[in-house]
Amino acid sequence: MKKIYIVGLAALSFSACKPNIDPAKPSKGDADFTTYVSVGNSLTAGYADGTLYRSGQLYSYPSMLAGQFKLVGGGDFKQPLLPGEAGYPSLKRVLGYSTGCDGVTALGPVLYSGTMDTAGNSANIAAGGPYNNVGVPGIRCIDYLTAGYAIFNPYAARFFNSPMEKAVTQATKIKATFFTMWLGANDVLGYATSGGNGAVSGTGQSDISPITTFTTVYNAVVDSMTANGAKGVLINIPDVTSIPYFTTIPAKGLVLRQGQADSLSAAYTALGITFTAGANYFIIQDASAPGGMRKIRDGEYIILTTPQDSLKCAGWGSRKPIPKDYVLTADEVANVKNATTAFNNVISAAAAAHNLPVADMNSYLKTISSGTTFNGVTFNATFVSGGAFSLDGVHLTPRGYALAANYILLTINNKYNSTIPLVDVNKYSGVRFP
Amino acid sequence: MKKLCISAIACFLCSSGAFGAGFQLNLQGLRQLAMANTGTAWAWDASSIFYNPGALSRLDGMQVYGSLNFVMPSIKYVQTPTGGYSSETKAQTFTPFSIYAGGTLKKHNKIGVGIGVYTPFGSGTKWDDNWEGRYINRNISLQSVFVQPTVSYKINDLVSVGAGFIYAFGNVKIEQALPVQFANGADGKGTLEGNANGVGFNLGVHVKATNKLQLGLTYRSQVKMKVDDGTATFVVPTSLSANFPNTNFSTNLKLPDVLTLGAGFKVNSKLIVLADLEYTGWKVYDSLVFDYKVNTSSLADTRTPRLYQSVMAIRLGANYQLMKMLSVSAGVAYDPSPVRDGYVSPELPDANRYVGTVGATFSPIKKLTIMAALEFVSSDKRDATFLPANFSGKYQSTAFTAGVGFAYHF
Repeated sequence: MKKIYIVGLAALSFSACKPNIDPAKPSKGDADFTTYVSVGNSLTAGYADGTLYRSGQLYSYPSMLAGQFKLVGGGDFKQPLLPGEAGYPSLKRVLGYSTGCDGVTALGPVLYSGTMDTAGNSANIAAGGPYNNVGVPGIRCIDYLTAGYAIFNPYAARFFNSPMEKAVTQATKIKATFFTMWLGANDVLGYATSGGNGAVSGTGQSDISPITTFTTVYNAVVDSMTANGAKGVLINIPDVTSIPYFTTIPAKGLVLRQGQADSLSAAYTALGITFTAGANYFIIQDASAPGGMRKIRDGEYIILTTPQDSLKCAGWGSRKPIPKDYVLTADEVANVKNATTAFNNVISAAAAAHNLPVADMNSYLKTISSGTTFNGVTFNATFVSGGAFSLDGVHLTPRGYALAANYILLTINNKYNSTIPLVDVNKYSGVRFP
Repeated sequence: MKKLCISAIACFLCSSGAFGAGFQLNLQGLRQLAMANTGTAWAWDASSIFYNPGALSRLDGMQVYGSLNFVMPSIKYVQTPTGGYSSETKAQTFTPFSIYAGGTLKKHNKIGVGIGVYTPFGSGTKWDDNWEGRYINRNISLQSVFVQPTVSYKINDLVSVGAGFIYAFGNVKIEQALPVQFANGADGKGTLEGNANGVGFNLGVHVKATNKLQLGLTYRSQVKMKVDDGTATFVVPTSLSANFPNTNFSTNLKLPDVLTLGAGFKVNSKLIVLADLEYTGWKVYDSLVFDYKVNTSSLADTRTPRLYQSVMAIRLGANYQLMKMLSVSAGVAYDPSPVRDGYVSPELPDANRYVGTVGATFSPIKKLTIMAALEFVSSDKRDATFLPANFSGKYQSTAFTAGVGFAYHF
């Protein structure tokens, strides 16, 4: 009897003596998160793996932020969702096996071959709006006040009320109490991803936007967003030269046997270029070099979309130079970095003028690129296995967007004295393997 | 696209495989448990084989002794800095036990002999499969059984000494999610499982200073539990199977040495009070090394710094003889954590612990003693980071233990 009594007592005490720590109650601090609008480009839209698709949108960083804002009084967050997973307008990339011209089968990004759930992709869904996430893939800062922009942009065409509507009009349809603005990356990215062949100050898709236009438009958009007293956060633009799109193919990636090195050296005798057995720098096109070609140097980049078969079997980088469209030379890299700095200065000035904080994503993405560990997962800029960048080498994985969301939340909490909980990064996917 | 070179895609056990002070079980005798695990200075019964081999020759004849404990630990994690996420370990019950047979062969014989089988380290932690820290640990369990043949010699009425040889065996199992995902988004998984064994010794001196005052000093050596042919099993996407081959591993889990100084004082014919100071040499646990038979770019041998510090626990207990057949006990103890800031990991998040115990002893007939004890352990709420995995949070752990047992005196 005695023992039974004691065991009964034990059961009672046990339930009363469990750990009693509880999460702190989140507070909104000095900001009002009731109505949140996210302004931006592809990064804001949830673009990944070379296209836009539904689950990518669901895992966009604004969607994650809205989920956390709900804990401090935030309302519903409406996104212009696509119907399916295949991708719009092009198919997304997934990891799969493909056989190159050299007969070697390797794991790498291949086009999605699953269910073609593309019906309705291009339908205009403005009637379902207005939308809280007005991120438009491809849009530049300097496009933001342009009437008719949606005529040329299929993403804008999907949810803008009319082709003549300005992006800024769409962004202010909902009277935001809080906004995030990550705009400006495409004002330099188009120049970089096309090998730096555009103008340093121009309005073409592969140009670097003129700083004066950028400044005017950026400030006008911030003015519009804050016109009703909304608070928010400005997110600056990353230096793209540290992302996998530029760092995956190594400059010194031409591996030769002695015989190959000897015959290439012989072929390049006239230009005085020599090769040795082992790793050599690729040969690139450069109009200013003797013969219009030279070896690539450290600090110059070959872009991810350089055709692999041409490198492997058509003699690109060895017998023939890699065309300039695929190469970012030192001068072009300097243009990219200078423009990034200049645009970020504009963003900082706008933030100071409107008493808004800046989420320094430029620094943060560098931290990720150089390798960082969070909650047991290590991230870096290695293509595919690095975990934070998706299969297009530019945009993030859901897990990468979650890291970005947390960084933005820290900026918000710091500025507005709020205590919004961070996102559970490990709830989201990195790159998925077959 | 460039041919993939998948290196460093995941670092299995880069940050895992700890067993902390929470794995130390102070449950080798029920009277002692009921008094916050004091007992180095007092020859209660055959459990002296563990608590002080020197006291074994103080016993009056032979005894057999058995006890069984039910340990129910619970840990809660709250995300920091802002605490939106929390998780609690799944309920588990562990059953450490002790069996002793020993004592003096005949009355007034100066020689005591005995054998003990007990479980000084064990326990485990089981988190939810999808919890935030799953890439550090999903679950871990460690079991060990020590077998200790012992001899004791009463030099004179004042001093007796004893020594036991320890053969230890046990097993360890660790499971964690791998941050490599299948096409459907599911995580990969790695499991390490192995049997371990090692040897050590247990020495004790018992001093009956006066009729009222008894003293004890014991030293239990470090036991290196060697795992030789453990199995490492991986569940990963097919395209990564070459990176994570199923293989064998070896490691050394060092169970620390323990030096205990105890004193017991008989206040009057009914009340005995006991105090122990227990020094545990956790410092031996400075790093943990896992050596895999097959290494790949994703599966490298690991050496994780732990940098534990040795600690001193303080234990106080009292026993009161309520009536001829029944005595009751109670005790309190303070057990500081050997784990430094920056190394508190979710496998068994350690913090300073506070112990409260009660118990009772009932002798319905002269030869039989029935014992029961309850223990409640609660830790500080500790804000901690596990630096190797950059995993932060606030933890609290509690454990509730109920033990029952008997001693039969021949």
